[in-house]
Amino acid sequence: MIKNKTVRVLAIAPLSRGLGYAVMESPDKLIACGNKAILRHKNVGALAWVKKFVQFYQPEVLVLPDVNATDTRRAARIKTLHRNIVTWAKQQQFKVRLISITQVRVQLLGNKQGTKQAVAETLAAKFPVELEKRLPPKRRPWMSEDPRMDIFDAVGLATTFWPPVR
Amino acid sequence: MKSLPNYLQTQRKRLSLSQEEVGFLLGLAGLNKGTKVCRDENYAREPSLQDALAYEVIYGRPVRELFAGRYQQAQQNVAARAKILNFRKVRKLDVRKQQVIIQLADQASINPSNQ
Repeated sequence: MIKNKTVRVLAIAPLSRGLGYAVMESPDKLIACGNKAILRHKNVGALAWVKKFVQFYQPEVLVLPDVNATDTRRAARIKTLHRNIVTWAKQQQFKVRLISITQVRVQLLGNKQGTKQAVAETLAAKFPVELEKRLPPKRRPWMSEDPRMDIFDAVGLATTFWPPVR
Repeated sequence: MKSLPNYLQTQRKRLSLSQEEVGFLLGLAGLNKGTKVCRDENYAREPSLQDALAYEVIYGRPVRELFAGRYQQAQQNVAARAKILNFRKVRKLDVRKQQVIIQLADQASINPSNQ
């Protein structure tokens, strides 16, 4: 089990508009995070961006959401993209770690129940310099999801990679 | 863990500065001030000593932290050379010099990410 070991982790959160990414070197060292909108040929474009990120940040572990977990529902396209990324990563002999949304909630909120907004607010409080400005307003029923939420999904995955310090 | 060649982009984003603003602070001339900063951040250009020190002033972090990968590489190279120097036979033994060389040679086994 990895406990506070310095490992460079690249978390990718593939979503409907593109992907969110986060790079961390330890539980409290966020190197980079952001989102990339891909408008056409989404799966091909997203995989190309993943390859670019891997080349630039040289991570040791690739963290992805577990799209096949019972608590997760994803579109067929995103499941295909996920499969493509995992296959490519295994070909490149990368370590791939799949983390479910429940694991993220348990680690960050201490509870299986919780909203994406609560997770995002927890992360913004944890990394105020990097994330506070990027925290989107609370989503109302008539609003679409803010594109910036991709960043928080990716940072949540990267943060959950390390077990909590007790 | 092998460090990245530099952490300039991370530090710049921490301070919410644009590449052009950093270019101006570095004293780069011309319209493409931001391009040079971009090239530094993408490991496409090796900044001069003057620029590296200016980065230290701007970001408030030591050069060896900003250019962690380069520092790590330099440390390993020096340690490898110190090992060679350690085996060299000298007529007059200087204890202090010997200690320094042994210390430098030992740095190869130290993990620079802990610093």
